[in-house]
Amino acid sequence: MELSREKLLRVKNVNPAPLVVPKNKKKIALDVVWYVVGIIVSLIFIMPILYMLAVSTKSQIAADRASGIALFLPDFANLGTFFNNYRKVFTDYGIWRNALNSIIYAAIAIVLNILVNGLAGYVLSKFNFPGKKFFTFIVLFLIIVPVETSIIPLYTIVTQLLGLHGRMTVLGVILPSVISIFNIFLFMQFFESIPKDYEEAARIDGAGNLKIFFKIILPLSKPIVATVAVFCFIGVWNDYLWPMMLLTPYPEMMPIQAVLQTIQNIEGVTTGEIMASLVVTSIPIFIIYIAAQKYIVQGFGSAGLKM
Amino acid sequence: MGLIALIIFLVMAAVLGVMIALDIRKAKKNNVKYHFKQCVIGYLMMAPAVALAFIFVLLPILFSLGYAFTDYHMYYPNDINVVGFDNFGTLFKEIGMKGELYHAILNTLLFVVCVVPLQIGLALVLALFTNRKKRGVKIFKICFFAPVVISLTVTSFLWLQILSPTESGLLNSFLGMFGIAPVDFLAQPGTAMLWIVLLSAWQGCGYQMLIFSSGLTNIRDDLYEAASLDGAGWWQKFTKITLPGLRSTLLYITITVFVGACRVMIQPMLMTGYQLHTVTLSYYMYQLGYGSHLIGLSSAVALLMTIVIGTITLLQRKLLREK
Repeated sequence: MELSREKLLRVKNVNPAPLVVPKNKKKIALDVVWYVVGIIVSLIFIMPILYMLAVSTKSQIAADRASGIALFLPDFANLGTFFNNYRKVFTDYGIWRNALNSIIYAAIAIVLNILVNGLAGYVLSKFNFPGKKFFTFIVLFLIIVPVETSIIPLYTIVTQLLGLHGRMTVLGVILPSVISIFNIFLFMQFFESIPKDYEEAARIDGAGNLKIFFKIILPLSKPIVATVAVFCFIGVWNDYLWPMMLLTPYPEMMPIQAVLQTIQNIEGVTTGEIMASLVVTSIPIFIIYIAAQKYIVQGFGSAGLKM
Repeated sequence: MGLIALIIFLVMAAVLGVMIALDIRKAKKNNVKYHFKQCVIGYLMMAPAVALAFIFVLLPILFSLGYAFTDYHMYYPNDINVVGFDNFGTLFKEIGMKGELYHAILNTLLFVVCVVPLQIGLALVLALFTNRKKRGVKIFKICFFAPVVISLTVTSFLWLQILSPTESGLLNSFLGMFGIAPVDFLAQPGTAMLWIVLLSAWQGCGYQMLIFSSGLTNIRDDLYEAASLDGAGWWQKFTKITLPGLRSTLLYITITVFVGACRVMIQPMLMTGYQLHTVTLSYYMYQLGYGSHLIGLSSAVALLMTIVIGTITLLQRKLLREK
């Protein structure tokens, strides 16, 4: 850095500037430009989303006829049919069943994810046992290896090695999202920062390992547990390819993202109905993002650990 | 297949056994004592994670490696022959003939070369833009972040409607106002991939913007003040303070966006289907394995992809870190 210490020292010696700086015209003009640019860019960014929301309330005729600004506004003229598309998506196309599937899969995945990876992270961070190095090495190794390219072998493992079919296919959909090496790593990092005193005090009171994990470690790690839960929910809810590969023969077990494709292909489906199904699919994630902002930002911080 | 899985399991167990023996010997030397009961409990608590990681993480990676050298066909799991490098020969011949793989490589290259700078640049500009303590900044950030919330599937289907070739499609109705006849954007070999680039950058850049934002808050304000006193312009401040301050963030973002871009597949899959002008490497690999049941050949593509992506990632890490 060329801005040497000398310069910084000079900063310190400068007479203290007056606290209230009178705003000059140039600055105000800059602010106005900043706001105008911001509003325009923001509108461009959310235009497709506004379009999606607007069309989801319109009949096909209204959607085709709309032009100009009306493209992005809901159909206020026909409030009677405002939710018709949604009604149709829920009743005729039964999207609620798939939404329910998604929620159930996500709930199971979240609970198991925290249990399985949390326990492993707990053992690897707090226990001293022979072979610890081996497992720690495997965790660090698997984090680096790209896994995405192994979806076809994963498919052969689930369908042929494990031979899952019929109702059991659900296991194949959920179980791969339960194990997450990165989450084990996250838990390890977090648990290591918990002082040993807590555990030892509980041990003196006669608490077993499992009790310590559930009564002391997990409650102390609420932020990381919440972060893992939120990202697990988003991951399972948004997953498309994997459930689609396994569940094509079993449409009644499909999660919501997979059924979007089915709705597209229904004969006589209107644009409004497609948009309504897209909105229904996006709403839970919107809610999660708003409700769990804090944990999601934390997740960004932990993402940096990956390097 | 079960036999191979068993062999892999036994090999891993043997390695673990050796490691345990070494650890115990070392412990004896240093007079560290293991608590036997605790060791057993520890292994039991880890068991579910170990089992799941073995089946769903380790085995697929190793199988993918192994399949690449066989003629595994999904319908004949009991008739697998090792064919050496034949699969790779077939693939290179396919490239030479300018077949599907050739197009897949070109399309993926085009996508990566366009989307990586566009998405990162956009994210950085948005992060710098919102890096002010002004009223309304949060609303701007929410707007920029909103597309991230929408899943890739929804994004693809939404843009499919926006780019719809009918007159009522959003973009075509815009063009219609200027008297331009409806265009089927996704059927044009030249532009289809560029639209996919655009919508992918639109969908993803809010995420990187937030990461850049948190990186920007870590740069000390007094550096900028000192630079101002020195008479540095905004460009100098940007290249001498902001960029160096964002180095590790930039490294992380470049690698994740690059790797993500190399794997692009959902967008072309849902928007155009299997077409020569939009097929990507991942899509090609998926189609070979899941569509044509040629798991051996598909795994060979996966192996090549892993090698290429891995090498480039390593290079990026070196380049960005060394300076």
